[in-house]
Amino acid sequence: MNLLRILLARCAALFRRGKLDADLNEELRAHIELAIHENLHHGMSPGEARTAALRAFGGVTQTRETYREQRSFPLLQQLGRDLRFGLRQIRKSPGFSVVVIVTLALGVGANTTVFSIVDAVMLRPLPYAQPQQLVEVSSADAGSPVARSVSYPDFFDWREQNHSFEHLVSYDDNSYTLTGITRAVHLDAEIVSWDLLPMLGIQPELGRGFVAGEEKLGSRVVLISHSLWMSQFGGDTSIVGRTIHLGGEAFTVVGVMPPSFRFPVDKPQNSLWTTLAVDSDALKNRGSHSQAVMGRLRPGVSVAQADQEMKAIAGRLAMQYPDTNTHNNSAKVQLELRAILGETRTLMLVVLGAVAFVLLIACGNIANLQLARVRDRQREIAVRCALGATRASVLRQLITESLVLSIAGGLVGCAVAFVSVPGVLALIGNSVPRAANAGVDLGVLGFALATSLLSGLVFGIVPATAASKTDLVKTLQRGGQARIYGHDWLRMAVLVAQVALGVVLTAGAGLLTTSFVKLIRTDEGFNPDHVLTFAFDTPDSSYKNRRPQVYRQYFEKLRALPGVESAAGSMILPMTDDDAHISFENPERPVAKGLRPNAELMPVTPGFFQTMQISQIEGRDFTEADNMQAPQVMIVNQAFVKTYFPGEDPLGKKLKPGAGNGSPDGPPWRQIIGVVGNVRHSATQREMQPAMYLPASQLPNWCCVSSVVRTSVDPISLEPAVRKLVASMDSDIPVTDVRTMPDMISMRLAQPRFTTVLLGSFSVLSLILTVVGLYGVMAYSVTQRTREIGLRFALGAQRGAVLGMVLRTAATLLGAGIAIGLLAALAFGPILAMMLYGTGPRNPAVLAAVTVVTALAGLLAAYIPAARAASVDPMRALRTE
Amino acid sequence: MGENKSDVLQGTLDLMVLKTLEAMGPLHGYGIARRIEQVSGDALSMNQGTIYPALLRLEQRGWIKAEWGTSEANRRAKFYSLSRIGRKKIEEETENWERIAATMARFLAPSN
Repeated sequence: MNLLRILLARCAALFRRGKLDADLNEELRAHIELAIHENLHHGMSPGEARTAALRAFGGVTQTRETYREQRSFPLLQQLGRDLRFGLRQIRKSPGFSVVVIVTLALGVGANTTVFSIVDAVMLRPLPYAQPQQLVEVSSADAGSPVARSVSYPDFFDWREQNHSFEHLVSYDDNSYTLTGITRAVHLDAEIVSWDLLPMLGIQPELGRGFVAGEEKLGSRVVLISHSLWMSQFGGDTSIVGRTIHLGGEAFTVVGVMPPSFRFPVDKPQNSLWTTLAVDSDALKNRGSHSQAVMGRLRPGVSVAQADQEMKAIAGRLAMQYPDTNTHNNSAKVQLELRAILGETRTLMLVVLGAVAFVLLIACGNIANLQLARVRDRQREIAVRCALGATRASVLRQLITESLVLSIAGGLVGCAVAFVSVPGVLALIGNSVPRAANAGVDLGVLGFALATSLLSGLVFGIVPATAASKTDLVKTLQRGGQARIYGHDWLRMAVLVAQVALGVVLTAGAGLLTTSFVKLIRTDEGFNPDHVLTFAFDTPDSSYKNRRPQVYRQYFEKLRALPGVESAAGSMILPMTDDDAHISFENPERPVAKGLRPNAELMPVTPGFFQTMQISQIEGRDFTEADNMQAPQVMIVNQAFVKTYFPGEDPLGKKLKPGAGNGSPDGPPWRQIIGVVGNVRHSATQREMQPAMYLPASQLPNWCCVSSVVRTSVDPISLEPAVRKLVASMDSDIPVTDVRTMPDMISMRLAQPRFTTVLLGSFSVLSLILTVVGLYGVMAYSVTQRTREIGLRFALGAQRGAVLGMVLRTAATLLGAGIAIGLLAALAFGPILAMMLYGTGPRNPAVLAAVTVVTALAGLLAAYIPAARAASVDPMRALRTE
Repeated sequence: MGENKSDVLQGTLDLMVLKTLEAMGPLHGYGIARRIEQVSGDALSMNQGTIYPALLRLEQRGWIKAEWGTSEANRRAKFYSLSRIGRKKIEEETENWERIAATMARFLAPSN
């Protein structure tokens, strides 16, 4: 209470200094006058009375000083004085200040931008209750680090047998067409087990969550998102309990989720959640691995304990069900946030490291500038010392100046971040989970401030210490031109470090660029130009078993559209990162059921290879005649032949892929009728996978094929026509995902593109900063040595020799920096390995290029001051001092 | 400075000021200083000026109030008076001081 009152009084005093000083003066004057008055009464002469009054009072000035200290915060006021002085210094040398502020603003701006994204992606907790207890559980093959999806029967066994989890929840992506409203819409959905909400610790905004009984077959209940509730149902609270139509089936809405609810976090567009009751086909199939699994650990159970238990359970299941689980004999439990980030974590850390390098290089530049300037200010500092400034006060003053500069740089840096964050986010697209939430908020601004202050200390403390050690007498004796001995090596060391950091950064950027160019130039195995893709559902409710005819008629109409050269359908589109794997039986190599090999499965319609311009190596394409009544057939790719029929002719061989076509005898034997070229399924795929193509017309119960259209006109211009065509067949089917193939590829390359662009910009920035720094150091050193150089000329030195002398210094520094940088690049390269395609992490061509570029840029920067040194006029140089 | 005079102990000056105001009512700085000098006789060596930081300290704590008024010499001067809190604090501080004094006295008493 007391303390608070005093503090308040002192704070108030800060702002009324003038008035309070006047009051004090008047009070003291009154005191003295009263004393004189009394002394006069006692019969003193006026002179005596005054002297006696002052003597009794003691020092007026001291009193005033103590009084002021008592009144407010003396340290704060001193800081204010230092700040004002610092600002005056900055105004006095605007050029220097602008260079420092801009350099720092670039460094801090880049760091703040990256940090705002790292913060959103990695640091913010998941938006659920006690997120540190949430883990991802996946299936695995013992000895392989790859996490696999889980089958429903396995999930049910896990759920029943474990003792580690409070809740264990399966989830899988899905989508529905919502009908029965003005215009049918396509919505992303998630199939989950009943206890999703209890596991996440989240309540619906309206209504209730699922109950255990709603996992029962035939149950059709749905939770809807807040935004869907608003956009399609006008926020009507009577929605709970109402029936809505999804894919032609009636679902009861049981609840509305709050606006901030996202599940999974990397699928913010999800607007429906249903129970796994809708997945009737997969519920009993132990071989169909489709589910992701998330769990909440029981209190006191660690991730490692859960991991151990789940591994044991998976091992037991593999013994129990060898046919399906031999390759799923283990499990893996990891923290949910870590599972969501996956390899993105490394990527974020690499970018964060790179941007920290930029800041270090920037600080190096500023430190060198400060060192040079402090030398020029020797005289001023010496004079201040002579007038009684202590070493501490000089140090304090210089650091305050640095801090003032750093705060100014930090403020501009924040502005840079504000501008650049949206740009970087656009570059990232949706290639990094949770990045979209990034923004410059208070925490990020705090980071920017802390970074700038830290930088200010880093680049301020060395020059300040150097300056405060000034030898007063010597400096003044020499007219203020004294050198600070022993600090040239400091400038040189800073420079070497900058060059080394720059080389590491540029090498990293070089590797990523090389890899990115390789990615762009990679042959996808098809021709993406002038290809339009889009999708629409054919729900089981009205299309089951009718699909082959419906699709045949639809594709005929589609091919007839003006501008369409050819068109076909495929259940899975290349370059979408989508895939389906299925095991197959090969009578020539019988193995136990659980050990059967598997390959990518691609149901397509006739004309797919022609439309995509995938090369037909052998045999024939599917035709309309390959229907349910005809012999069952398949086509394989070259990778399949290479893996399973090396050196053999695959045509005519029969295999049994485990894909049921609705017949009660199970999957049929299929004859291989053709071989096609390999196609990339993902833009960042490292190896071509064996694939099996099956005619969609021989899988009538499989939903659904996406359309690919090769056009003679701009592909996107066909969008209205295809929408009209689909609507004319069924007005309740919305067309979705209308994209050109080049756009789709570009979307898939977002992640490598953004890392390449960011690291590329950082390395260019670092190169510029390094070159500027080198130029500054060389130019300054030449100016300092003007007299020496003049003397050399006077003694007969050749211009070439002087030029060589300066360049040699620069070359030595560069050489040392590059050598250290190359060693570091070789050591740290492997960190990048997972981000690289088509190049190793120690690519000699890249390192050579980096060396050449850095050396050339550096020598060029040194040449200008060197040439100036060589053109020094000896007479003038000798007269300079 | 006289060898036999004591410096004013830190903290005791505050109590002296409070007691003075209690006894004399509203008073200006000079008056307070004179009164303390008179009461202590010649036992204390005190610069009159030291009264002012003490007055400020008490004012910041809210124990005394200050008001501009007119002095006996017909001059504007700042008059200090006890606040409500100040009156209460006097008792506390007096007890406090008496306890310390008593303790000190026990230490200084010739041991038997």
